[in-house]
Amino acid sequence: MDRRKFLNLSIVAAVAVPVGLSAIDFRATKPDTWTAHTVADSIKALYGDIKPDASGVTVKAPKVASNGGAIPVTVKSDIAAKSVALFQDANPESTVAVFTVAEGGIVDYMLKIKMKKSGKITAIVEGLDGKFYIGSQSLEVALGGCEG
Amino acid sequence: MGNMKIKAKLKGDIVNVKVMAKHDMLTYDQAKKKGLDANFITHVSAKVGDKVVYDVSTSQFLSKNPMFKFKFKGASKGDKIAITWVDLKGNTVTEEKKIK
Repeated sequence: MDRRKFLNLSIVAAVAVPVGLSAIDFRATKPDTWTAHTVADSIKALYGDIKPDASGVTVKAPKVASNGGAIPVTVKSDIAAKSVALFQDANPESTVAVFTVAEGGIVDYMLKIKMKKSGKITAIVEGLDGKFYIGSQSLEVALGGCEG
Repeated sequence: MGNMKIKAKLKGDIVNVKVMAKHDMLTYDQAKKKGLDANFITHVSAKVGDKVVYDVSTSQFLSKNPMFKFKFKGASKGDKIAITWVDLKGNTVTEEKKIK
């Protein structure tokens, strides 16, 4: 390979590497979790066969959501976490979001989600200690937000 | 511009950030009904300088014009926070805001 070509190649390679090294695109690394239809399958596809502890994770959502199109959900945890994943069981696919927790990050995330019908929201926290923690919250949806 | 609303406020040593992205977030079902292509935000990240402070891979089940709130430590007043989202079609939008 001549030198010029080699230089060009190295520039391309440098561009292709994402800037933030701690950022993981879970859609690219774990494609199966986004198409799984049940919460259990999604969790399996994302983290493998795990037995999460039912403690330390708080999921906050309104008990009755009048508009299923925008339900505010908050996930909170004091666990030093590596990643946090959010699932629900009302829509055709289960996974809603997977967070990568930055170094020294605070697990206190709020986001608005859509739900087709009443269901349960589940959050899994992957701790830096290698353990998994789970929290959940059931809610009623008065008006479905996915329009069928 | 106008694709995002960002609010970042320093309280003590914690920065509270609120982001509202303008996006239709069409799920596959909705898109089929309307005869459009599904398109939704698949990744959102926030950076202060070159440090990633927030990073999430998302699915079609975020609400329309989704809103995100998060907190982080280690930034000071006047620092710029840059939020980037990418959607299924590969559109990338980045906006910056000073931390108040």
